[in-house]
Amino acid sequence: MSEAVGLLVNGCATCHGRYLPRPGRCPRCGSDRVSPLRIPPKGTVLAATELSVAPAGFTAPHRLALLEASDGVRILAVVRGALPTIGSVVNVIRDADVYVVVDDGSPVPGGGPA
Amino acid sequence: MPVHVSAAVAGRVGRRPEGLVDLLVEVGDRALDLAGRKPVDLLFVGAMAAEALGETENLVPQLADRLNLEGAGGVRVDAASASGAAVFHTAVQELAAGRAERALVLAGEKMTSQPVAEVTRVLARSLAPSEQAAGASMPALAALVAQRYVSRFASDPAAFDAVTVQFRRSAQGNANAQFPTPVSPEEVASSRLIASPLRLLHCSAISDGAAAVVLERGTGPATVLGLGQGLDALALVDRTELTSFKATRTAARRAYENAHLTRKEVEFAELHDAFAPFALIDLEDLGFCGAGEAAAWFLDGRTAPDGRFPVNPSGGLLGRGHPVGASGLLQLVEVARQLRGESGSLALPSAPKTGLAQSIGGLGTHVFVTLLGSAGTEAAA
Repeated sequence: MSEAVGLLVNGCATCHGRYLPRPGRCPRCGSDRVSPLRIPPKGTVLAATELSVAPAGFTAPHRLALLEASDGVRILAVVRGALPTIGSVVNVIRDADVYVVVDDGSPVPGGGPA
Repeated sequence: MPVHVSAAVAGRVGRRPEGLVDLLVEVGDRALDLAGRKPVDLLFVGAMAAEALGETENLVPQLADRLNLEGAGGVRVDAASASGAAVFHTAVQELAAGRAERALVLAGEKMTSQPVAEVTRVLARSLAPSEQAAGASMPALAALVAQRYVSRFASDPAAFDAVTVQFRRSAQGNANAQFPTPVSPEEVASSRLIASPLRLLHCSAISDGAAAVVLERGTGPATVLGLGQGLDALALVDRTELTSFKATRTAARRAYENAHLTRKEVEFAELHDAFAPFALIDLEDLGFCGAGEAAAWFLDGRTAPDGRFPVNPSGGLLGRGHPVGASGLLQLVEVARQLRGESGSLALPSAPKTGLAQSIGGLGTHVFVTLLGSAGTEAAA
């Protein structure tokens, strides 16, 4: 997995859990043997919703998708295009402090196989 | 040492002209009257957003001053939208430990003086920072949970509509309800989309309201039989399950163990239906039916007031309104009044002796389950 395109996650050396970066110990087992690693920037859509009223700082309609990436990592991502179908695979990037669904799951240029 | 509810008062829920302190004083005064103005040792107050939405601080002395309770002691308790249940649990534990004889427990919320966008923003501060950054709100995450539920169990989405229809029908008999008018399944299904698949009538409202109970040591028809609470990961993405709230399952297990009861001995429940799908998840998490089975219960009327297991005979959060920090105590007032024979036109035909209340703080992150009844005399806590 290329450093440039992989999604940064935390990996726990004790329980082998993978989860989005957050400060402190592993949220699943409490271990401090946590280190950063990268996973493919793709996720399967578990659920997606469109909010008719946008929260402050966003424009309506605001769309969100709950994704499952590799190793069971779940991601709540902003959708800037059309609402993705449940079960589809989409590409996801980290943009500033949010995750964003970028397209319909076609390969990210230069990203190689997921 | 057993503890029982000796007075239970619900204030009218809706858009109220009064501020938070006045809402709490009104119900507190009535509860003290009902309890015969006997001396109160403790004044415990629950509220979620007394500062951000209610624009008030220092609640206990403000209320003690108005209610002539300067001789008592007390604290404010906060557990987000479960604050009303959390404060009840805290007061029960103080009395059960023998540190006081009698407590006045108040819970309230003032929400309608702020614009809807501000209320939504404040409520969303309960969520994980990463979720707030993505522009998530309570309805957004509830919608994702609802979608997972429908996908996983291939549930009839009409069950969500049936939840609202049943609770709005029940709220007709509740003089304190914000929505005492019935709605048809078609009206629910065609109401405005808030966060797909959740529509306006699947979502509880922004409300003002307050509740009060007097707790005393000893037993009565509404004795506290068991208490339990549970926590879960703050972010939805960190949960092990998306179609069930682990915090409810933990709280329920602890409450049943504390009461030495099983779910089979519980005759009715007031559940936290901030969003219609939660009523299904709650019923399953509390063990009243299996995972994915609750839709059928709501569709065939098993949860109606005259059904096998009545749920939310008061109208629930969808019918009564949801003044967030008050709702947990409003539920307990309704359960206590059923058991004490004070429910008037809301009285269940089965005249139950044991009831349960479940209150959710945050998006399923902190749940309180309470068992009340006359069946046993086991001390809680």
